[in-house]
Amino acid sequence: MAKVTDMVLWDKPGEKVLLLGNQAIARGALEANIAVYAAYPGTPSSELTDTMAIVAKKAGVYMEYSTNEKVAFETALAAAWSGLRAMTAMKHVGLNVAADTFLSSVGMGVEGGFVIMVADDPSMWSSQNEQDTRVYGKFANVPVLEPSSPHEAKEMTEYAFELSEKFKHFVILRTTTRTSHARGDVVLGELPEEIKQGKRKFGKFNKDPNRFVDVPANARKFHPIILEKIEKIREEFNNMPFNWIEGDESAKVGIIAPGLAYAYVKEALHWLGVENVKVLKLGTPFPVPYGLLEKFMDGLEKVLIVEELEPVVEEQVKTWAYDRGLRIPIHGKDLVPRVYEMTTRRAVTAIAKFLGIDVPLDYGELDAKYNKALEIVPPRPPSLCPACPHRNSFYAIKKATRARGIYPSDIGCYTLGLLPPLNAVDTTVAMGGSIGIAHGLEIAQHGSMSEEQRKKEKKIIVATIGDSTFYHTGLPALANAIYNRSNILIVVLDNLVTAMTGDQPNPSTGQTPHGMGKRIPIEDVAKAMGADFVEVVDPYDTKKTYEVMKKALEVEGVSVVVSRQVCALYKIGQMRRRGEKWPIYYVDEDACTGCKVCINAYGCPAIYWDEERKQARIEPSMCWGCGGCAQICPFGAFKPVEEGEE
Amino acid sequence: MKVKEYNIVIAGVGGQGVLTAANILGWAALHAGYKVRMGEVHGMSQRFGSVVSYVRFGEEVYGSMVPEGKGDVILGFEPVEALRYINHLRQGGMVVVNTKPIVPVQVSMGKARYPEIDEIKKIVEEDFKAKWIGFNAEELAIKAGHVVTTNTVLIGALTQIPEFPLDAEHVREVIRLSVPPKAVDINMKAFDLGIEAAKEILGL
Ligand code: SF4
Ligand code: SF4
Repeated sequence: MAKVTDMVLWDKPGEKVLLLGNQAIARGALEANIAVYAAYPGTPSSELTDTMAIVAKKAGVYMEYSTNEKVAFETALAAAWSGLRAMTAMKHVGLNVAADTFLSSVGMGVEGGFVIMVADDPSMWSSQNEQDTRVYGKFANVPVLEPSSPHEAKEMTEYAFELSEKFKHFVILRTTTRTSHARGDVVLGELPEEIKQGKRKFGKFNKDPNRFVDVPANARKFHPIILEKIEKIREEFNNMPFNWIEGDESAKVGIIAPGLAYAYVKEALHWLGVENVKVLKLGTPFPVPYGLLEKFMDGLEKVLIVEELEPVVEEQVKTWAYDRGLRIPIHGKDLVPRVYEMTTRRAVTAIAKFLGIDVPLDYGELDAKYNKALEIVPPRPPSLCPACPHRNSFYAIKKATRARGIYPSDIGCYTLGLLPPLNAVDTTVAMGGSIGIAHGLEIAQHGSMSEEQRKKEKKIIVATIGDSTFYHTGLPALANAIYNRSNILIVVLDNLVTAMTGDQPNPSTGQTPHGMGKRIPIEDVAKAMGADFVEVVDPYDTKKTYEVMKKALEVEGVSVVVSRQVCALYKIGQMRRRGEKWPIYYVDEDACTGCKVCINAYGCPAIYWDEERKQARIEPSMCWGCGGCAQICPFGAFKPVEEGEE
Repeated sequence: MKVKEYNIVIAGVGGQGVLTAANILGWAALHAGYKVRMGEVHGMSQRFGSVVSYVRFGEEVYGSMVPEGKGDVILGFEPVEALRYINHLRQGGMVVVNTKPIVPVQVSMGKARYPEIDEIKKIVEEDFKAKWIGFNAEELAIKAGHVVTTNTVLIGALTQIPEFPLDAEHVREVIRLSVPPKAVDINMKAFDLGIEAAKEILGL
């Protein structure tokens, strides 16, 4: 079992390996001889970027963690304009950030292949909304390719570059959580010589202001060109290798299955034991190739489209059928739910209903039993790690505001501060949104109050935002708040790493995957922008942190407290790798009074309640030794154990 | 003998090494010549929340998630987590589970109750007609040398269940190759302790 990142660079064509969908895409990009890769991490896309980060230098690929998706998009786009093969990757909501550049530049096209990998998250396992990127593809008239397995993801990535180059057009490679985070057997292909030798490739930008300057006179010419391209691509897709018709040719019923839905449809048909159906496997949910559709529809009496989320394929098929005067029943979202992810159960249920047959399992009975079982299952939402510095920051904020503040927060691990016992997150909208929301709340709550009234009724507003998020989209919001004389406290939870998506570096880290970049301290930025109060604290020092928060709250204007302490998960990971030990804590039974402050106000997951003795306890295998509990316990019951843990 | 399809559901708490265990089984299946599909959790849900991984292999497998009612075995790293995904188990399946609880914060706060192990076992056996192979794997891991080998103990036990399609020695080899060299010995010991525990429970 070799290291995955090694396998991604293996020069062993034909070898079968087990890869994550995202890693398979990285391999596909290398097989396609990619030259430039830029992205901002976001679940479920992150491992593609992380894999690139590790292999880039060896493969001669320029790779960067950009500060946000828009910047990443522009970096890769410019490389593609220079004739290089370039890629950017993001999660679905990341495309919203890049949307401005994306929609404005699509008409300019590219010279080198340009692939935009977007990972959607149906069911929102790790996201703030459920959006279907295929709709963006349709909106922008950019073709969308969607793989049905990790191996196909690799092959399709290579094809995406070729397609992009052929039409000088953008190509979206869309995955969902279950493709990006599925592992499957992948057969390695050939790596190009340049990648094997790690030779960095350079391009050439040929000036053409009529093309690359988006003044109205030029832009006006683009729109018809885009539409023309997309129709040509629709033609092309009639014969692309990831679209095909299979099954019983004489069947009277047909199922259309785009992307990953194909896997579920196959599984469902297999399980149902149904054979007399025709299946249209679609690797291109947009644009749907009409020629292939025509061939598929020939002789069918009814059709079902099994697709996840929005009826993107369904609408195209129905429009096409209407224009043809084809009047057969076309089912889709009437049988397949429009929200949350596809499952085999959903596919089986929809297909059984469509065919008028029984489902193979009594789901009613299963649900009844399962619901009964769930009655005794306690909830276990994710939580801030043991020793997470954010817990201390939230604890200090709550204490300094006497829990009477409003707490807008942002996107990152710290959103988990929402959960009891901290309850220190009142709003989260989108990356960088906390500062803007805090400013808006301040205007709404106090904007027109008299000085006197304000003193009496003032609601304290404390925004929390992470280091990476601060650089992602927090900067313009901070400028806005300072410029407009807001009166808010902004606590930047600086753990020196982009923790939630897997410890990627950012400007506050300074480090890049390939060595030192230039570190930008957050306090310097806040000071330069003109914040009225700026201080840095170590949240592991709970008393000092509380005092600084108190002081900051007394200041009129925008206060910025940078709460800096390295991410505990990151730190423990590093220590484990180096074989180092850390102190662990235990509860002194004589000192613990059972006041439960550690559980009801602090909430480190390593601390649990001993029902029999009515005392707190520490689960030693979970304690990461920060000493936070020892500082917040009013009776000094938490003490370090002599022996360290590995 | 090749199986058409075999489905393993691995349930636990983020940080317990669920993913590592899934990977080991996935590679063992790949080496055995099967088609493999695995589904896993990333991002925020990994932070001490409930996590589940799926390992599917056989001659024909498609999706990366084990469908409801189709799991052959649930490998539970923690007792309530095994129960949380019980809807994925088929009738007459198996539950191989570490009986050492990890108490959620909500329970400590008095906002939820942690069930008795026997209550869980009863539901598994009576409602789901499944076989329960429960033991304190953490204790055995500590005996082997380190608490982090808990997943190795569980994998060892898993290889002993009737009709398990992967060869135990084969799985052991994958573990040997995937753990750091200095951890090989304690992992091998943990694997053996898992095998013994399962044998004892199964009366082998
Ligand atoms: S990963 Fe880091 S930032 Fe996230 S909860 Fe754990 S310790 Fe905190
Ligand atoms: S020292 Fe206390 S607060 Fe820190 S990780 Fe251990 S139990 Fe949790």
